[in-house]
Amino acid sequence: MNKLIRTLALTLALCCLTAASPLALAGEVIDADLTCSITLGNWPADTAPEAEKALFEGYKATMAKQYPNVTLIPDYYSYTLSNYVPMAKGGTAPSIFQPPFTDPQLLISQNLVGDVTDALEAFGVLDKFSPSYVEMLADENGRIYGLPRDGYVLGMHINIELFREAGLMTEDGLPKYPTTLQELAEYGQIIKEKTGKAGLVFPASETYGGWLFTNIAWNFGCVGESALEYQDEDGRWVCNFTSPECVAAMEYMRDLRWKYDILNADATTTDWASAHSLLGTGEAAMNFAADDSVDQPTAYKGLPVEDFALIPFPAGDAGRYALAGGTCYMFAPNITKDQGIALMAYLKILGKLPFLDDDIIAGMRSDYAAKRDRGASVIPAISAWNDDEYNAAKQAIIDEFSNVDMRLYNDFFDSISEGTITLKSEEPVFAQQLYRELTAVIQRMITREGADVLKALKKAEESFQEYLDDEINDI
Amino acid sequence: MSGQNARTRSRARLAEDLKSWMIMLPGLILMTFFIWEPLLESVRMSLYKTRNIELVRFIGLDNFISVVGKDDFLQALANTFSYTFWSLIIGFALPVLLALLIGETVRGKSFFRTAAYLPNMLPGLAVIILWSSFFSGEKSGVLNILLGRLGIPQQSYLTRYEWVIPIIIIISTWKGAGATALIYMAGMAGVNPELYEAAAIDGATVWQRVFHILLPSIRKLAGTLLILQIISVFQIMYEPMVLTKGGPDNASLSLMQLMWQYAFGGSMNYGKASAVAVIVTLILLVMTAIYSYFNRKESDWD
Repeated sequence: MNKLIRTLALTLALCCLTAASPLALAGEVIDADLTCSITLGNWPADTAPEAEKALFEGYKATMAKQYPNVTLIPDYYSYTLSNYVPMAKGGTAPSIFQPPFTDPQLLISQNLVGDVTDALEAFGVLDKFSPSYVEMLADENGRIYGLPRDGYVLGMHINIELFREAGLMTEDGLPKYPTTLQELAEYGQIIKEKTGKAGLVFPASETYGGWLFTNIAWNFGCVGESALEYQDEDGRWVCNFTSPECVAAMEYMRDLRWKYDILNADATTTDWASAHSLLGTGEAAMNFAADDSVDQPTAYKGLPVEDFALIPFPAGDAGRYALAGGTCYMFAPNITKDQGIALMAYLKILGKLPFLDDDIIAGMRSDYAAKRDRGASVIPAISAWNDDEYNAAKQAIIDEFSNVDMRLYNDFFDSISEGTITLKSEEPVFAQQLYRELTAVIQRMITREGADVLKALKKAEESFQEYLDDEINDI
Repeated sequence: MSGQNARTRSRARLAEDLKSWMIMLPGLILMTFFIWEPLLESVRMSLYKTRNIELVRFIGLDNFISVVGKDDFLQALANTFSYTFWSLIIGFALPVLLALLIGETVRGKSFFRTAAYLPNMLPGLAVIILWSSFFSGEKSGVLNILLGRLGIPQQSYLTRYEWVIPIIIIISTWKGAGATALIYMAGMAGVNPELYEAAAIDGATVWQRVFHILLPSIRKLAGTLLILQIISVFQIMYEPMVLTKGGPDNASLSLMQLMWQYAFGGSMNYGKASAVAVIVTLILLVMTAIYSYFNRKESDWD
């Protein structure tokens, strides 16, 4: 009897093993023939939080299981335009790196990045791109050179503690935040008077000032025919900083300093990181910033998540516009077809492609758990993919790990989903140079009380037009 | 016979020369590869329209004309001379004074020497970041806190056109003066002590000894350090880049920073960046030549 039971048990076990093995293999190894090496930029440094390092080691292990002959070479490389160009030309750029959305078109036009159209097609995700992202990451022939890592929409970060101190709270205990640029100036003035702290931190150094100013300018009407740069009938790119709308926007900037006096003291030396720092440490009440950087003032600068809110970009007289941008993945110019496939496989494991399986869901959960553990706000993400199923699954995980009162964020996300705010991408050509020119004008306006707005804009316009003629109009 | 001797001598000299050349060869190859070739390439690039680091077409002096015709170049040029001026006012005499004081110290000389040199051992960027907290115009700025205790209202130091360059020079001097002082101290140690003794016997005061013996003795060293300082300050870049980003409104933009902006600040115009680099080199060459001329004249007079 015992022998019979043992025989049956053995037979059953063998059957299970035989039946399960092919399934297990299919789940584990996806392509054993794919053989290549890929260098992965932005690998977490040794000083990164343990949770983050473990996460990436997990991705690496999964990749090793699914593609056993693909060698992953971690690289701590962090992209800047200046360090990337020599590496790309010298053939030493990492296979994958992460530039901001301001740079892809420049890199594509200079043949400094690799084409992954075929690899994307092989993974069946080419048609799931949000069209605006395709536009940012493709050349004129529709070839794709990058993938969105994450998208963002510019809004405003709020330090609720300072709003409370200034008496700017509703009966529900929520901050009474500015919905228009005029209110921004007025509320900022109240905060400055009541708390002695800056109403608004404005990073007006390098290119940051110009970058934020374009948003203000759009809300003053610098869109369409009055856009800051446009292409005329002959196809020539024209700079247009002297439109009445742009002049009005720059006068507004000047007033923020000299009429309302709400800016932080060192605006001309403040950059993106220090702006977050000033808000997070309670030195300023408002900061133009996006949903993808909510961890900066909270997790990194210690502002409790209950004292932080994200609100829509304030409207101007000409409408309500906000920048939609983000960070993308791009690839070295010399990647091979196999490397392209391997890189897509790696991004799939990272959960950056619109696919859902247990590993990806587990990866997302780890990601949001790590975010919550380090004290960052866990909030909905703006998806770069037109895939309802994928987006719904992602939202369910976010809800599970949410650590914030969503009333402090709802208006921001509702303004996007309900279309009460118009999303715009960055100015189409040579945005960084445009920002640099405008930043110089802003610096003049906020450091010289009697500065002539039109004269300064005219000078910047001539300078940028010369640049356009030289670089793109080929005059 | 004598011809054979001459040939033998010549061969021996050649063998000796060959040995010397072999010793120098690695250094020469490295210098050619890392210094001379990039330098000449930069000059060539300045004469071309470029597409990132590729040369598209020869355009002669167009890059130079375009660069020089822009307001930001003139501003950067004026600023660079201003940096040099302030570095001479603030930073030239201070190391001499430091060297004198440390030299005259009887007890704890090693301590003061180390203390003076210490800032030079700190990484340059760390120094700038440290001082940016000190000069921060926000309420949390160290200087504002200190002055606030004296009842002086909050000031914004780095956004003031007239203050920004002197502040940057104060920071550079704080970092570099100790190292220069050590060089002066070495120079002062070489002064013949008999001169001091003779002066002391003649009843010279300390200041008379300093002005009539010490300073004349280190004059040539000071001249060399002066030209080195000018060359160094003329290439100032990372200090304004980190502290003020060239602002406010280009008030602290230096020529080297302008060069960086052309190359890496978003436009990737290496041709114009090279043009700025060549201009800076030419200015420094002229200044060095002027110094050499006067130095030679002085030697002739001596």
